[in-house]
This record gives sequence, structure tokens and C-alpha cells, in this order.
Amino acid sequence: MAWLVVRLAISVSLLYAASAVFEDQVGKFDWRQQFIGKVRFALFDTHSQASKKLLVATDKNVFASLNSRTGDLFWRHVDKTGPEGHIDALLMYGQDAVVVVGNGRLLRSWETTVGGLKWETVLDTGSFQAAALVGVQDLVKYVAVLKKSAISLHDLSSGSQIWVENLPDSDSVQYQTIYSGGNGVVFVLGVVPNSHIVIVEYKIEDGEIMNKKSVEAVWMSSLESSCAVVSSGILLCVDQITQSLYTLPLQSAEQTEMRQIHLQMLDLEVVSGFRPVLTSTQPNPAQPPLSEFFLQLSPDHHILLQFIDGLIAPLRDFNPSYLAAFATSGERTVAAVMSPKNDTACSINLFSADTGRRHLDTTIIYHMDPNGGKPNRLYVHAFLKKDDSVGYRVMVQTEDLTLTFLQQPGRVVWMREEALADVVTMEMVDLPFTGTQAELEGEFGKKAAIQDGLLPMVLKRLSSQFILLQAWLAHLWKLFYDARKPHSSVKNDVTIDILSRDEFNLQKMMLMVTASGKLFGIDSKSGTILWKQYLENIQPNSVFKLIVQRTTAHFPHPPQCTLLIKNKDTGLGSLYVFNPIFGKKSQISVPALPRPVIQTLLLPVIDQDYAKVLLLIDDQYKVTAFPSTKNVLQQLQDTASSIFFYLVDSSQGKLSGFRLRKDLSTELIWEVVIPTEVQEIVAVKGKRANEHVHSQGRVMGDRSVLYKYLNPNLLAVITESTDTHQERSFVGIFLIDGVTGRIVHEAVQRKARGPVHFVHSENWVVYVYWNSKFRRNEFSVLELFEGAELYNSTVFSSLDRPYAPQVLQQSYIFPAPINTLEATLTEKGITSRHLLVGLPSGNILSLPKMFLDPRRPELVSEQSREENLIPYAPEMPIREEWFINYNQTVSRVRGIYTAPSGLESTCLVVAYGLDIYQTRVFPSKQFDVLKDDYDYILISSVLFGLFFATMISKRLAEVKLLNRAWR
Amino acid sequence: MHAALFALSWCFSDAEPGPVAGSQSNGDRFKIEGRAIVPGVKTQDWISTARILVEGEEYVGFLKTDGSFAVNDVPSGSYVVEIVSPSFRFDPVRVDITSKGKMRARLVNYIKTSEVIRQPYPLQIRSSGPHTYFMKRETWGWTDFLMNPMVMMMVLPLLIIVLLPKVVNTNDPEMRKEMEQSMNMLNPNPELPDVSEFMTKLFSKGSSKSSGGNKGSRSVAPKRR
Repeated sequence: MAWLVVRLAISVSLLYAASAVFEDQVGKFDWRQQFIGKVRFALFDTHSQASKKLLVATDKNVFASLNSRTGDLFWRHVDKTGPEGHIDALLMYGQDAVVVVGNGRLLRSWETTVGGLKWETVLDTGSFQAAALVGVQDLVKYVAVLKKSAISLHDLSSGSQIWVENLPDSDSVQYQTIYSGGNGVVFVLGVVPNSHIVIVEYKIEDGEIMNKKSVEAVWMSSLESSCAVVSSGILLCVDQITQSLYTLPLQSAEQTEMRQIHLQMLDLEVVSGFRPVLTSTQPNPAQPPLSEFFLQLSPDHHILLQFIDGLIAPLRDFNPSYLAAFATSGERTVAAVMSPKNDTACSINLFSADTGRRHLDTTIIYHMDPNGGKPNRLYVHAFLKKDDSVGYRVMVQTEDLTLTFLQQPGRVVWMREEALADVVTMEMVDLPFTGTQAELEGEFGKKAAIQDGLLPMVLKRLSSQFILLQAWLAHLWKLFYDARKPHSSVKNDVTIDILSRDEFNLQKMMLMVTASGKLFGIDSKSGTILWKQYLENIQPNSVFKLIVQRTTAHFPHPPQCTLLIKNKDTGLGSLYVFNPIFGKKSQISVPALPRPVIQTLLLPVIDQDYAKVLLLIDDQYKVTAFPSTKNVLQQLQDTASSIFFYLVDSSQGKLSGFRLRKDLSTELIWEVVIPTEVQEIVAVKGKRANEHVHSQGRVMGDRSVLYKYLNPNLLAVITESTDTHQERSFVGIFLIDGVTGRIVHEAVQRKARGPVHFVHSENWVVYVYWNSKFRRNEFSVLELFEGAELYNSTVFSSLDRPYAPQVLQQSYIFPAPINTLEATLTEKGITSRHLLVGLPSGNILSLPKMFLDPRRPELVSEQSREENLIPYAPEMPIREEWFINYNQTVSRVRGIYTAPSGLESTCLVVAYGLDIYQTRVFPSKQFDVLKDDYDYILISSVLFGLFFATMISKRLAEVKLLNRAWR
Repeated sequence: MHAALFALSWCFSDAEPGPVAGSQSNGDRFKIEGRAIVPGVKTQDWISTARILVEGEEYVGFLKTDGSFAVNDVPSGSYVVEIVSPSFRFDPVRVDITSKGKMRARLVNYIKTSEVIRQPYPLQIRSSGPHTYFMKRETWGWTDFLMNPMVMMMVLPLLIIVLLPKVVNTNDPEMRKEMEQSMNMLNPNPELPDVSEFMTKLFSKGSSKSSGGNKGSRSVAPKRR
């Protein structure tokens, strides 16, 4: 009995120790990269010259402060996803940044050095239009927020509301912009499309309407971007139809008509179909804007104009020019203009805003990435140099969401790939062998062996061994060489050319597909981006599926990946075939997909070039094979009768199974209808194709075996009730055989609702749902067993399964909300499994599957102890040691990708969301390699000690014998 | 029966489990207020990485520079409020808001969900220290080594073998006799030949001869000197 207790104690301690991180392992094989998303607003801190802060607000509802020298994050605040966390406006004054959030719902002021909130106020409902800082007598004191029907003024230091006023006639007038020149009044500008402009003047002190006027403007549809306020309160608008500029002094009471200035008079013309854009600058909110402004006439034509005494004079014409922006440092305002230089580079030049004269020696050359997109935003940081001239740095954002920070004369200071903030899907591909390894492979290729005789083979063998020796010596030399260098300089750049598969296949190529249509190849060991490819013309609502058709195992055939891009609305898809190691587009001809694709299927059938066959099924159930060579079609004909696939139509609640016919048409075999009035299908998952199950059964306490029900065709279907009332809502799970359509098991969780996260693997399904009665998350595990005997132990066939499996189920309370769920995966499936749970706090919990075992007994018996079953406890433990990413939290974790490595004990894990985190986990500890803390010194000292002890004792024994002989 | 080959596949039409709309009623919105305290640490050192999560990420709040916080726009209901920080541990609190806006804070108990152990409201959440993410490495020390039961089992008999003969005077003939007696007592049948003795005799026969020869030659050699 005592022995048993000891054993239990040992096993439990082992279990708790499993998959924890040691402090000295930090950063050894894991890395994290933090992202912010597509920048919507970016402001440089011009408060002090030495400031390195760059404040950004992005479309991912992230507000962050970047170090403009390195591109690293000082701090980052991640708000709620969706419209409620959407950042509408970002204003900055001094150390404070004012942010309008959630369609004008919240007004927040941030302390930018610390990254803490100063104040937060709730605004009245109403859709947000504009916000502006308001100054009085050279001091910025207030912030004004314009809503659809009201304007409010808030104190900048406390956030308290000074006044709020309803806008007159707000149901007919669209109020769109706000302007204050620092003279005690705030102007609110509204428009009645194709009729007139409304200008309301509010007194800053009490919100009293000082003046209200309407000015006729039949041509105007919207104030935004086509209008700007320049000089001392002159409203300036541009219209492409009448090809004219219109001016109107805001304050004058007598002028009731906008003055028209034909663009022709300035020798200008707006390109037809282009909406011209006016850009003015107001360096200090307490003072009126400058009289200079940019007018964009076509996508690559800007002109700098000046408004003086009611006249508009061109200062400088920039033709061609992509982007233009103003920047102010101290008293001086400059304009930076990006113009094309040649096909691959752009030049950015600085011009003084008031004269349009070019500053000498201010050219920055910006090299465009040939695999990237065009630049579309320019942010300029101007500063005064010691000699009082203006220096500047620029940040360029491109279509593919690359942020590049440049300084003169074109040095890239840093670069951020913000497309990675929205990874949609990913895969991991083995790295190829090096040249020498490939040489060896070639030697034992099939063809070579037949052609050559015995002697050439021997010679070949010797030569390849020699090459290996050479490579090893070179490696040793490099090690020696690196060891002499200081540590920091050894961390050299990783390039594709030197990458090769390591001994245990721990280093892989991560392929990441992002929502913006940019593909990345990332080295999993260091996180270095090895290649990137921007696919143009990707619709924003596209769905991606990445398929590895040929791995690196088939030298000399290059590996091949296929990306299926599908438009969510039309369903039309296209294929993009590329080499995953180098990112190059493959020259293979791709089948045209004229009809919407509804299902894809990667078959284990390979063509003569070792590429797996991909079947694409369109909405008429026609099948397209890719590649579709003769060989493939022949193979498909042979195996057609055993190829089945399923389709899900969640709108009709229909699951249907099809079989492939010899002529590549399909026939319907089964159909399961889940009535949509009651419940709807939320998710369907099969098992992972690359999953291995090592043991067929489990050994029980009485030494009998409980065999697992390992049906590779099993589908787990999750449904949610359409009735969302908390008493009547439920979550259902169906286990359906994908070949026969037989419902193997069905379970319902009452008083539960989604979101449901689940993992389907081996013979179990684990799912998480929200228990709406007790307001908590619950885990439920289903395990399927065949029983004490296997029906057919050699082959599994869905068509020949007379006995239903035994199903065991148990549920547990999980004391935290959940973002995502995945299971670890290893090479041979010997290692015990862990569940990886992504939590909203950003931690990734590695939960042993042992805790989710439906055979956990309520009462401990001798047999359950023998089996190492943990007694049932309703609440699942969460230990901080189980967080595999310690303090490297992953914000908004959306997916976890697991891949086996060459070591059975090790599973590679990538968690992605707003950030990307890569690590290795060892669910059963590192049983196949020496531990990190293996005590080499102790072992070797003991060995040497023993060796010397034997030597000495031998000598002593000899002496003793000799002495005895003398006696 | 032939084996059914079924390639698992992915379907476009399956709906992603999207976030469930939280609030159905357009009733009043309330504000959850409180303060987070990390004893002995300045607020500016940790607030920029911390967030307040209400019921997962359903409502999010941020910390002010003095450590206080307010989560705005929360409809009535029962929520678990948690401060998440990568460096410090905070215990979650359940906050109940009635439809009239009355607030109550209590300990989170997932098993007995209706149990009420009141907590102060506005919330006062004190950190229970830094997170312990790391396991301790087993360090090797002499005491651990010596206290190991296996080592003890090896060392103690060794000590007995080496030290006992020193303690007990074997040269004393009385003592020797006594010991022999006790040995005989242990040996139940003195007539039966001892197995180990037998074995040593058997194996030492051949070797003793050769060693004898060696001895002879060795004893001869010095004589020549």
C-alpha cells in the first residue's frame, strides 16, 4: 500500500512538471513578434526634439507608441475588436494623446510616456463625425467632438464636459467637419448635398450660437477630403465636375456665395473620374492654418498652392508625384513629396511650404519591394538640426501594410510587416537538405543504381563521403571562427541559401497567409522573414486555403504549395502555386475555375512527380483534379470507388456525402438534415491527416485492453440552437461517419451556448461551451472505444462496422474564458497529448489530456490507481507553470498551429493572432534527448574519478602483493 | 470488403464560430469601477501592459496612471472582472449589476455559483505577487546526494564492513571464538558445505597453482641479488 502511494506521488509530480518552462530556457527556442495592424493615424511626438515616440492608431483597434529609432513598441493597448473598439480619431497635444473610440462613444486621454490612461469620458450616443483640438489665446485647452446631431466641448486636462449643444436642423444637414482657429469660436460645417453648405459658429465659453448661415453650393455632395480650411479661416473646396476651386471666408457675414476660381485659370485640370483631394495644415490648433495647401489632381499629380488675399497662386507643381505630406518643426513647416525615380525606386524630397523651394541635400531614396505593393501613405517627422536647417525622416506605408522608416539618404532604419497582424492560415514545411545531403540522396537514387556498375558505385560512395568530411571540417572551422568573435556579432542574418534541415528537423519553414493577401516564409527558429510575396487584387473578404502538395522529401523535385483564394461573395476561386522555400511562383499551368468552388480534397494519390492530387468540387458537383496529367486521371479512375467526400450547407442544415465516379462525376450517397428551425451547424471538423496514433488501445488496471475506436473518416459536427434564450439554448454534437453518413454518436448540452471550440483527434473529441445557467465555461470530452476486442484489427473500413462504439463522456468546469483550442501533435504519436488553450489574457495553457479523460473515477480504486487515473474533480486546474509562453503573451490569439518535429518528444507550436509566438513543447518531457541541465561535469568527473581510482588501487594492490612476497 | 479511403477535407461553407452578440437589450449601460494595487511597485511600471477584461474580452478597460480603472458601457448582468498583466497576478472578481444599476462584488466561485462572499465595491484588487511561470531547476548538492536512500543503502553497509572489525578486537582469541560460535549459530547445518566456499574452492584450484608458480619465481628472483 505504501509503495502504491509512493508511486502515485511520483507519477503526480511527473505530471505536474510536464511541459513547464525553465527560466534559463527563455528565448532559447521561442520567439514572439508583436504587431499593430494597418496604421490609420500616426503622429510623431514633436513636443521635444529628442523624443523618439511615434503614436499610432490602427484598424485592429490598437493604440500604440513606437520607438521611432528602432521600430519597437514602447507600449501597446489592445481594445475590443469590432466597431465598439474602433478608433475614430487621434489627436495629440504635448504629452497627451486624445483618442475617440467606438463611433464617438468614448473619449480617452492617454499619458504617452507611461502609457496609462489619464481620463476617460462617455459621450452621448450618435455617430461620430469629427474631432478637433480647440485653442484659446495660443493655448490648447479643449477638445471638440462633432456627432451627427450634437457638438460637445471637453476640457483637455480632466475630460469633463464643458458644454454640449444640439445642432440645428440635424436631420436634413449632414454636419461633417469642425474648425477652430483659436479666436474664441468653433465652426461646424455641414452640407445638404447638392444644395447648400451650413456654417454654424459656436462660442467656446458657453456653446452659444454666435452666427449661422447657409451658403449655396449646388455642386457639393460631401465636405470630406474635397474641402479644407486654409489661411485665416477660408473654406476652400474643389469640384471635379465644374473643374473649379471655391472659396468662402467663414467669419464674414456679408458674403453669401462661394467665390468660384476656375482651375483653367491656374492651368490645371482634374483627371476625369478622380476625386480631387485638398490637404492643408494647421501646425498649432490655437492658430489658423497656413495659407499653403496641396491639391491632388490625379493619383500621381500634386500641386502646392498658396492662398493670398483672395488669390490662389501655384507654388510648385509636382508631376509626377505619388504622395505629399506636410510636417512642422518649431516654426517651420515643410512639405515632403514622393515622386517616382525609376521602376524600382522613388525619391522623397523636402520643400519649404511657404515658398515651394527645394531644400538642398534632402533626398531620400525609397526602394520599392518588387514583391510588395505600392506606397500609399507618407508620414513625415521633421526636426531642426543643430545648424537650424530642417532635417526629416519619413515613414512609408504600402498597400501590403509594410511600414518602412527611412532617413537620409535612403537608409532603412526599420521595417515592420504589419500584414502579419492578421494571419489567416499557416503551414509548416520541412527545410530542404543542403547540397551535400542532396548529393548523398542522389547517390542512392533509383536510376543511378541501375545504370552504374559496382566499381563506379564504390567510387561515388567514397567521393560523397569525402564531400561530407569536407563539409564537416568547414563546419568545425566556422564554429572555431565564430567562437573567437564577440557574441553579439555572431548572430548574423539568416538567409534562405544557408538554411537546411537540422538533425532533428526542429527548424522548419513557416508559411503564413495574411488577410491582406501577402504571403510570408518565416524561419521558425529565429522568426526571420525569409521571403514575402504580395498578391495583388485580393478582395478584402477572401477566404484562403493553403495546401502542401509536395514536401521537400522528393529531391530533385522542388516542394510545391497551392493557395486557393476564394471570394466569399461570389464563391469564385483561383489557385496560386508556389515554392514554399523560396516563395517563387511556380510555372505550372493552373486549371481555370469558372464555377464557385465549394469543397477541396487533398488525396494521398501522387502523380509521377510526387505531387499529391488536389480535387476541387464546384457547385454543380463537378470535380477538377490538379495536377490533371494522364497518370493522375488513370489513378483516379482506379481508386474512384473509394474516394468519398462530404459537403456542408449550414444555411439548409444539410450534410451530404458523395462518392467519386470513374468519369470524375459524383454521386450522392447519404444526406443528413439537421433542421435549421431548431439548430444550426456551426462547425464541422475531421481529424488531421498527418496524425499518428501509436497505441491501438489502453491497458486497464486488470491488464485487459480497451481498444480505441479509430475511425479516420469520423466527422465531428457542432450545432447551436437557434433559440438563444438561456433556459432553452443548447449545444449539440454529432459524430458522423463521413463515408456512410451513419451517426455514430450524438450528444446535447442543455442550457449551453457557443462559441464552441473543439478538437477532434485520435478517438476523442474535446469541446468547450458556455454554460449559461451557471455562467461558466465547461469542457466536455467524448472518448470512443471499440471495447475489449477489435473487430478488424488489420484494416479499418467504414462500410464494415457492425458494432457501435462505446462512448464515454465527462465534463469539467474551466475557470477561464477561452479564445482557441488545439492539441499537440508528435511524429509517431507515442508522446502523451496536451491541449493548448489560448486564453484572452494572451497566455497559452498547455493542459494535459490526462485531465480530460472520461474514465477519471469518482472513487479511487486499486485499478484506477494502477492505470494512473486522476480522481475526478469538477474544476480543471490552471497552473501558471503550464503557460508555455510565460510573460510573452499573444494578444487576441486566434489560432494555434502544431506540427511534429523529428524528435518524438517535441512538438512545434505557433500561436497567432495580433502577435505571433513560436515555441516547442515537450508534453512528456524530453525523453529522447539529454536534458538542458544534464550534468556533464558530474558524470565526467565521476567517470574520471573511477578510472583513476582503479588505476591507483591496481598500483596499490601490486605494491601490496610485492610486499607480501618479501615477507 | 475493400477499405474505404476517405480524404479529410475542409469546407468553405462551414461557418466560423464567431463572437456571440453580447447584449440583446438596449437598456441602461453602467460602469464598473475599481482600483488595482501592486504592493511595492510603482504604477507606471506595470499599467501599460495591463488590461481589465470583463467576461473574456467582451468589455475591455484600461488602467489610469494612478491604478484606478473604469469599464464603461456595461449592461446589467453578472460578470467576471479580471485584471490581466503579464507580470502580476490578480484574482478575478464577480460583479453583479442589477437592472437598476446596483452593484455588488463577490468572490468568483465556479462550483457554487450562487454563493456570495462579498468583496468591496468599488473594486479593490490587490495583486498577490508576480506570476511564477517557471519551474525550478533541480540543483545538485552534496546533501541531496548523501541523503539519497540509494546512497545511504550503499554507504551504511560499507561503514559497517570497514569500521566493525576495527571496533571489535579480532586478535582477542576469546572474542574470535565467540564470533565463530555466533557464525555457527547463524549457519543452521554446519555439516552442509557452504555454497560460496565450494565455488571459491572450485575456481581457485587452477589459479592457485599458477599463482603458486608465480610466487615461486618471484621468491627466487630476489635471492639471486
